[in-house]
Amino acid sequence: MSKVLIIEDSSYMRRIIRGILNADGYEIVEADEGLKGLQMVKTAMPDCVLVDLIMPGIDGLKVLNVLHEEMSNVPVIVLTADIQESVREQCLKLGASGFINKPPKEEVLRDTVKKIIEARNRR
Amino acid sequence: MDLTPEQTDILKELINIGVGRAAGVLNEMVHFRVLLQVPFVKILSLSDLRKEMESMGRYRVAAVRLAFKGPFFGTAALVFPPDSASKLVSVLTGEEPGTPDMDSVRAGTLTEVGNIVINGVMGSIGNLLKKRISYSLPDYMEDTIDKMLAGNEAGQDPTVLLVRTRFTVHQLHIEGDVLLLFEVGSFDALISAISSAYSATGE
Repeated sequence: MSKVLIIEDSSYMRRIIRGILNADGYEIVEADEGLKGLQMVKTAMPDCVLVDLIMPGIDGLKVLNVLHEEMSNVPVIVLTADIQESVREQCLKLGASGFINKPPKEEVLRDTVKKIIEARNRR
Repeated sequence: MDLTPEQTDILKELINIGVGRAAGVLNEMVHFRVLLQVPFVKILSLSDLRKEMESMGRYRVAAVRLAFKGPFFGTAALVFPPDSASKLVSVLTGEEPGTPDMDSVRAGTLTEVGNIVINGVMGSIGNLLKKRISYSLPDYMEDTIDKMLAGNEAGQDPTVLLVRTRFTVHQLHIEGDVLLLFEVGSFDALISAISSAYSATGE
């Protein structure tokens, strides 16, 4: 069973994501802020990380940066309300494997997570 | 400082596009049609703004605020009458209004809805003007209009550009307002960005 770590400060949004991905049989682990999320990447060893951008404490861009530099084998999908093209480009430059706008469309989230975990497993 | 009719027209259209996108997002969340009114754009002092807001007849509101900054700066808010806020949370979470479960998820749910809707509005404007905008963490409050505006009193009685669009979801009896307050120091940058966009259209 593949494991997905959700780093998201909104419990409402975590519940939506969990509901969508649970149906596909993923094991879900959650962190409600960036620092906790970075620690959980090391302890829970997820196959994929979903991260929000604007969070208290360490924000999503910092999480993305740290993961890209220190744990680049863990694919990261950015999930954000920010629809600006410049933000998407910045995230992809920083190593994000995917970029999804909130609220996530169910099929887009499921397909993106599936493809990214499959690609990681093929490496 | 005033906006020309052309600048006002472009600003209204930018807001229309942004709020339209945000309405689309809200529609995806509640699964009912979201109707929009024509944006209201006005330059006024903070004290006049307070009167304007009070004229809306909503002394007590549930609101999510985000400060934005970039080439222009200010505050964006999604504002509901409290009963509309309760209905929206109920639709999104399945919790009954007035129950302890509803109370526990109310602020978090509305904060995220506000975050998504305001990002839809401001992000569209940023994309159209090709300007990067950054945001503060969303801030949820249920209080009076006066308290909601309390964070905007840095100057004596600063001038702000108010943009307001009313939206309604008739089937759910939900209504609310998207408010954008551009602070005085950012007028020039906003007008400059609008002028560039206007000239880029070749009109």
